[in-house]
Amino acid sequence: MYRVVLASRKTVEWIGLLVVAFLFVFPFLWMASTAFKTMPEVRQFPPTLLPETWEWSNFAQAWESGPFLMFTWNSILVAVGILILQFLTAVPAAYAFARYKFPGRNLLFGLVLIVLMIPGQVIFLPIYVQLSGWGLVNTLWSLILPYAASAFGIFLLRQAFMQVPDEVIEAARLDNASEWKIMWTIMVPMAKPVLVTFGLFSFIYHWNDYFWPLIMTNSDEVRTLPIGISSLHMSDGGTLWNVMMAGNMILILPILVIFFVAQRHIIKAFIYQSK
Amino acid sequence: MFSLKKTGTILCALTIGLSGVLAGCGSSSKDQSASAGSTSQPAASTASSGPVQIDFWYALGGVRGKTIEDMVKKFNETHKDIIVKPAYQGAYQENHSKVLASVAAGNNPDVTMVEIASIAAFADAKVLEDLTPYSQGDEKKYIPGLMKNSYWNDKLYAVPFNRSTPLLYINRDMLKEAGLDSNGPKTWDELVSFSQKLSKKEGDKITRYGFSTPVDIWFYEALVFQGGGNILSENGKELTINNEAGKAPLELWSKMVKEGIMKNPPGENYNAWDVAEQDFLNQKVGMIFTSTGSLTELKKNAKFDMGAAFLPANKTFGTPTGGANLVMLAKSTDAEKKAAWEFMKWMTDTEQTVPWSIASGYMPVTTEAIDSAEMKAFYEKEPNFKVAVDQLQYGYPRPMAPGYKELQDVIQKELQRAMLGQATVDEAMQAATEKGSKLLKK
Repeated sequence: MYRVVLASRKTVEWIGLLVVAFLFVFPFLWMASTAFKTMPEVRQFPPTLLPETWEWSNFAQAWESGPFLMFTWNSILVAVGILILQFLTAVPAAYAFARYKFPGRNLLFGLVLIVLMIPGQVIFLPIYVQLSGWGLVNTLWSLILPYAASAFGIFLLRQAFMQVPDEVIEAARLDNASEWKIMWTIMVPMAKPVLVTFGLFSFIYHWNDYFWPLIMTNSDEVRTLPIGISSLHMSDGGTLWNVMMAGNMILILPILVIFFVAQRHIIKAFIYQSK
Repeated sequence: MFSLKKTGTILCALTIGLSGVLAGCGSSSKDQSASAGSTSQPAASTASSGPVQIDFWYALGGVRGKTIEDMVKKFNETHKDIIVKPAYQGAYQENHSKVLASVAAGNNPDVTMVEIASIAAFADAKVLEDLTPYSQGDEKKYIPGLMKNSYWNDKLYAVPFNRSTPLLYINRDMLKEAGLDSNGPKTWDELVSFSQKLSKKEGDKITRYGFSTPVDIWFYEALVFQGGGNILSENGKELTINNEAGKAPLELWSKMVKEGIMKNPPGENYNAWDVAEQDFLNQKVGMIFTSTGSLTELKKNAKFDMGAAFLPANKTFGTPTGGANLVMLAKSTDAEKKAAWEFMKWMTDTEQTVPWSIASGYMPVTTEAIDSAEMKAFYEKEPNFKVAVDQLQYGYPRPMAPGYKELQDVIQKELQRAMLGQATVDEAMQAATEKGSKLLKK
């Protein structure tokens, strides 16, 4: 009897989870399906779930509509460049906030937290003017430098560093380890799950970012994938949604791959966070 | 069709900051013309020898963006002393934001597209160059119906480029089947009676609507004009829709929706346009309002005899136009301005506007173009395109006021409130007027 109750409860749980999962996955499936349809089929009502004919040429059409190889390369440079700089700035900052006592610490950390709350759209104009003064607008630097320090990363890492037991650090100090060494060889490995989480957030955000690259760049040579994709969209009607969705598939492919590869880490990182 | 609202927040921030920032940026250092890469080179000297290089920002993606790039290429090949660098800058509103930011930073383009209802805001902010000394009467070549949004304080600031207008799209087969005139309704009364005959019910469920239109400011403007009204007073300082002509469109639409003969397509902004077009193609509605911009795509996908007609008349016919104009930036150097005018003139000449119109679905912009053999042959084959040009004789300018960009959002929100039954027509117009007058006084 008990076993039956348990089994049926499990079944209900599973069904519930499946429904939720479906809700999340459906838009992606819909995008994938649309990417393979012909335009009349996109318009058709009632809509078809799977394409009647598989129109692979949508992908070629999207890819050939602009210098997409260059866009992709730029996207990689920007997202990875930002990631590296953010690690280099966030780790020492977080270590200092977590482990040192110095005058003005709370005030400075408060400032970092305030940065978290200001949306980029509010401050883009002064930054634009500044970068333009330095002659950096329309270069990859204008996409990377403004994001070199991440308030979110500092905050997240500080919390992780604070959880490292004091004994570990003291033991290291007794062994004559320098602060630099403690930070990189003891703290960083212990905060690995958090670093992975933060790295993913940062990478996905900047990989997908549309607003900033659009504002800062004027020519294809320094533009990123999302702008290339958006140029598939027509302003005054007549957008080819199938080609547009094919472009989006190209855009999200690397992120999907990362998720598949790093799935275990991601789950671990989130569990770690919620502890 | 004009693209709005997507980046509303950005624009808000910009318009607030604009007046102050512009004042503080007297001297401009033009250094962004350099050809990208990871380094930006200092300004190519424009005064002395060598060709003049100018930047042209456009706001159309997809096939149309490609066509523009090809046109620019042709210009560069035929003009040895000028190099035009074209750049796609997102949709209209994104391009607007960028232009304003670049003017503030001193690396603005020399020519750009501006959506026609925003010309006043740009001209008022002194971002645009007065074209009168350059055009020297040349502007007479353009179709008068397309020039109404080109002036601000009696000065010429813009020339028409990619221009559209709303049309009534009809499913001729459906009309014939219902025993109706397959040329479509001519008046509001006919629109109602046609819609009644086209609508179908199965039990309590409506399976087919006679008519559908997005509740959008553009179509609302059209219907106000048709009732002899206007959105703004002559001096552009007051909102004049809290009257009979202003209320009539809402009364018509809400009456038709209540009767179950008009569908109010769900969705924010352009999603509603998509729904209306989708329903039309799938024969769930018999007639819709939408832009000339959709002619090619709808024609290609319609499995029925599709026609286009004038928007039905109330007291008169009436229609706004849409799309974008070309403008010149005030901060460019004299040499750049001379080159910029050369380019603007060329892009809108008959020789360019005819193939541009045929490729893009926008209207040709010169009177000469309409009479050209090529255009005539095209109209012979695609009479629907001719309807748009013919309707221009009843064209009105889109309201011209620096604050209209924000104001149109205010009005549209009130329109939707009234259509959804959250406010009566009187309340909605009252609220729009109150909020609107504050915006216009700014």
